[in-house]
Amino acid sequence: MDKLSIHFRGDQTTFAPSQMVHGAIQWSLQTNPRSLELSLFWYTAGKGTRDVGVVETLTVDHPGASGAKDFTFTLPKGPFSFSGRLISVIWALELTCAGSDETVRREIIVSPTGREIVLGDESWAEDRPRGNPSERILGRHS
Amino acid sequence: MKARHNPFSADRVETIRYRPVGATFAGILARLEAMNYRAAIVGPQGAGKTTLLEDIQCALERRGLRTRMVFINDSSPLDRPTRRQLMSQLTSDEIVLVDGADAIGSAMWTLLKHRILRQAAGLVITTHRPGRLPTLIDCVTTPGLLGVIVGELLPQEYDLEGPTLDRIYHRYQGNIRNCLRELYDLCASDSSYVGSDYLADDDWSSMSKLRR
Repeated sequence: MDKLSIHFRGDQTTFAPSQMVHGAIQWSLQTNPRSLELSLFWYTAGKGTRDVGVVETLTVDHPGASGAKDFTFTLPKGPFSFSGRLISVIWALELTCAGSDETVRREIIVSPTGREIVLGDESWAEDRPRGNPSERILGRHS
Repeated sequence: MKARHNPFSADRVETIRYRPVGATFAGILARLEAMNYRAAIVGPQGAGKTTLLEDIQCALERRGLRTRMVFINDSSPLDRPTRRQLMSQLTSDEIVLVDGADAIGSAMWTLLKHRILRQAAGLVITTHRPGRLPTLIDCVTTPGLLGVIVGELLPQEYDLEGPTLDRIYHRYQGNIRNCLRELYDLCASDSSYVGSDYLADDDWSSMSKLRR
C-alpha cells in the first residue's frame, strides 16, 4: 500500500509568522512516481467560496519508490491562523504524488500567540482595540 | 462554532453531488446521449442545475469525450471578447456546457446556438425556463431532498427536526443552496461567540432544536 508522510522537527506544529518550518517527508510507494510535491499553503473554510494561497512548493523529481527528504520552508508574515463564524484561515503542508491519488496533509498553526486566533475570544490580543470583535473585523454594526 | 467546523461550510456542501428526484443519473446520461448532446437542464435557482452540469461534465470526460465549460454570471459575462475566444478555440469534438444561458439575450442566443451546434459536438445548458433547447431534465427539489442532504452533512451528535427543515425549505421556496446557507448560520451561532444579534429570534429557537 502506498504511504506518504510528513514529519515536523521536534513534532512542532505551531509556528510564529516568518519562522522557519523544518521537517522531513517520507514515502513508500508501489511504483516509481514521476515526482512528489510538498506545498506550504493556507486556505479558507466557511460560508463563502474557498480561497487558497500557496506560499512555497518543494518538488522531488524521480524520487524512487521509497525514500525520505528533509525540507525547510520560511513562513510569511501572514495571514494568521484564525477562526470566526464566517471564515477560518487554515495553514497546512500537503504532500502529493504525481499520477496517484495518494496525498497526505498536516495542518499547522501560524500565529504570534502560539494558538489559533478565535474571533470572539478576547484573550488573543492584549492590546486589542475595544468593542465587539466581530463588528471590528467583519464590519457589522448594530 | 468555528467556520472550519461548520458542517455546512462551502467546501463540505460542494461534496454533495446532484440527486435526481424521480430519475437516475445513468438515465439522465442515456437520455442526453439519445438527444445527441443538445439539451437544457431546466429549473429554478438553487435546484442543483450547475451541480448536475458539473457531474455531467465529469461523466462525459470519463467516457473519453471532450468538454468545455462556460460559466456565465454577473462577474463573468459572455461579452464579445469572451465569445470570440470561445468560438476561435472550439473544436468539432467538444461538447460545450454553458451554465447560466439565461444571461444571454435571445438574439445573441440564436446566433450563438447556431454557431456552436455547427462547430462543436454538442451543447448542454442550464436555464431557468424551458425553450432554448430540448429539456433534458426539469430540476426539482423537495423537503425530503433537503432532509437527505442535511442528514449527510450534519454530524451524528446533531439532530434537526423535520418541521424546522420544512420551515427553512418553504422560506427559501425550495432553493436548497439558500437553505444550506441558513443552516450554516444556525450552526455558526452554536457557540459562546459574542454578537448574538447575528440571528433572528426564531432562528435561535431553531438552533436549540438543532442540539440533540
